[in-house]
Amino acid sequence: MLACRQVSKSYRTERGIVTAVSGIDLDVAAGEFAAVIGRSGSGKSTLMAVIGGLSRPSGGTVTIDGTDLWRLSDNALSGFRNGKIGYVFQFASLLPTLRLIDNVALPAMLGRRHGASGSYARAAGLLERMGLGGYLDAYPSEISAGEQRRVAIARALINDPALLLADEPTSDLDEQTEGEIMNELLTINREVGTTLILVTHNLALAERAQQVVHIANGAIVA
Amino acid sequence: MRLLANLALQNLGRRKARSLLLIAAVAIGSGVVFTGATLMRSIDDSMAVGFTRLGADMMVVPEGALTNITAALLTVEPTDLVLDADVLARAHIASLGRIAPQKIVRVEHSGVGGHHDLVDLIGIDPARDFTIQPWLKDKLNRDLRAGDVILGAGRDAPLGSQLLIFGKPHLIYGKLGRTGVGTHERGVFMSFATLEALAGSIPQHGDARPAVLSLGKVTGFLVELAPGATALQARFAILSAVKGAKVVTGDSSLSGIRQGLAALLQGILALMVLMFASMAVMVSVLFSAIVTERRGELGLLKAIGARRAQLVGMMVVEAVIATGVGGVLGVALGVLVMRLYERSLVYYLDNIGVPFVWLDLPQTVAYAAAAIVLASAIGALGALYPAWRASRRDAYELVRGEG
Ligand SMILES: Nc1ncnc2c1ncn2[C@@H]1O[C@H](COP(=O)(O)OP(=O)(O)OP(=O)(O)O)[C@@H](O)[C@H]1O
Ligand SMILES: [Mg+2]
Repeated sequence: MLACRQVSKSYRTERGIVTAVSGIDLDVAAGEFAAVIGRSGSGKSTLMAVIGGLSRPSGGTVTIDGTDLWRLSDNALSGFRNGKIGYVFQFASLLPTLRLIDNVALPAMLGRRHGASGSYARAAGLLERMGLGGYLDAYPSEISAGEQRRVAIARALINDPALLLADEPTSDLDEQTEGEIMNELLTINREVGTTLILVTHNLALAERAQQVVHIANGAIVA
Repeated sequence: MRLLANLALQNLGRRKARSLLLIAAVAIGSGVVFTGATLMRSIDDSMAVGFTRLGADMMVVPEGALTNITAALLTVEPTDLVLDADVLARAHIASLGRIAPQKIVRVEHSGVGGHHDLVDLIGIDPARDFTIQPWLKDKLNRDLRAGDVILGAGRDAPLGSQLLIFGKPHLIYGKLGRTGVGTHERGVFMSFATLEALAGSIPQHGDARPAVLSLGKVTGFLVELAPGATALQARFAILSAVKGAKVVTGDSSLSGIRQGLAALLQGILALMVLMFASMAVMVSVLFSAIVTERRGELGLLKAIGARRAQLVGMMVVEAVIATGVGGVLGVALGVLVMRLYERSLVYYLDNIGVPFVWLDLPQTVAYAAAAIVLASAIGALGALYPAWRASRRDAYELVRGEG
């Protein structure tokens, strides 16, 4: 379902051009769980952003379910991200001025597929499932980092994405919380069949993946 | 669109301190501009009363008549004394231009206004008058006829309706614009013929009918200087040719004050333009800072599927709401301030001989609307460019807070 061909991304900085990712070929089958591992600064987040349609690659192609992502128009790409991709960032990523329920419902509202009441019912269901049923009206600043990450996952799932990208969703959390959140993600992958690409430092977790992608210096190492 | 407005409102509502500060800044700016513009126009209009539409350069009245020399608009006051209607014409004074005779009778129980109200019935010669008819704001679509009356701005009755004066029907032909001068505001104007036709119905005071109602008598003349003639020449010529008359000119020392006021207004205008420009700059700077601060949120919205137009729309709507509310508050503030200072301002201007005339309501409303629209437009433009620039960036860059 995902095919990356010769994907590269370099940044222009004051010290010259920094190549974060270069020549990556990667295939992930539908319903697969792939783990991306590598040292800090190796280019994992950059690769995820390119796959997720958030960062335009300097070269190469990303094809998801037959759609060449980076040849879409800006609006079409927005629509694609909205409908097909769920993205969980490495850091807190909720809109601080919106309640949790609004944060989760927002992608559905933007996609206009379920209508307002349908979107909010779905959002409430997802928050419930993440154990946050009592916090629908809370604001992000009123809950813990772990809880915020769960809300971000609920938001990523609201439009039933075909591809779920999670970039170290538990990097700043304790082990027990990390375990709970990872289980949640794996359950979704197993039960719903959502393709999952997960960046993690947890090697035990990576071993449970069907494919482990090891990145060093922006390239895949065997 | 509803979603965008909601997001914008949420942003404003959850960041109260900043929103209030922004609204207050815009309110002060637009309030100053609105108040300044309204006052300037009002003062400007009032000065126009004092200058351009003044009409007469001097007034010739019987020696004992009372005159109000501080008023900018020379008007004849009612008096029992009279002059012959043809004294000036007979004298052939070269330094005079147009000459407009007027008859004024102050009456009670006329049926116009309240029962005991004193009403000035003012007769004019429509062909020679140049101080009343230029002020006609509304009139019937024909010439003034016998039986027609013109009402001062202080009186209210529909055009074309009937007005009974001492029981005699008259037709309301026209209404004057506001001048702030008493006789002009409250007067009931008509041709000499109409006034003469009324004469028989006017009750007599004691022994005689008012002398001015006799044929060939007038209360006074409003006169214009011939081109190139000076007031001094004219005054001298009139006094030597006409017995028992007095010449009244506007107070010339006042014109100096008026010129000073005009210069002051110019200064205020320049200041206002400056203030407005700095407000525009401030708002754009503020919004580019706001957009920069919110890059992360914009990136996030983009990441979850918001289109560029939606991002820009959200920021612009937010800006327009904030600056629009600021504009409304500013106008309200301005109205309040003008109310508070109305008395002292009117008093001051009256003292220097400028009858103060407020800008009329439709114009004031137009100014208020313009101030609000302008404030919102500044907000929209201030937010548009930074939002548009930010929306072009990759979502990931925005989320990471780069650029
Ligand atoms: N916007 C940028 N401008 C310049 N260099 C960048 C930019 N983003 C990333 N880089 C560089 O690209 C390289 C890869 O960064 P990336 O964030 O993808 O690493 P990572 O593997 O996700 O690291 P971590 O595990 O710490 O999250 C790093 O050397 C980083 O300095
Ligand atoms: Mg990373």
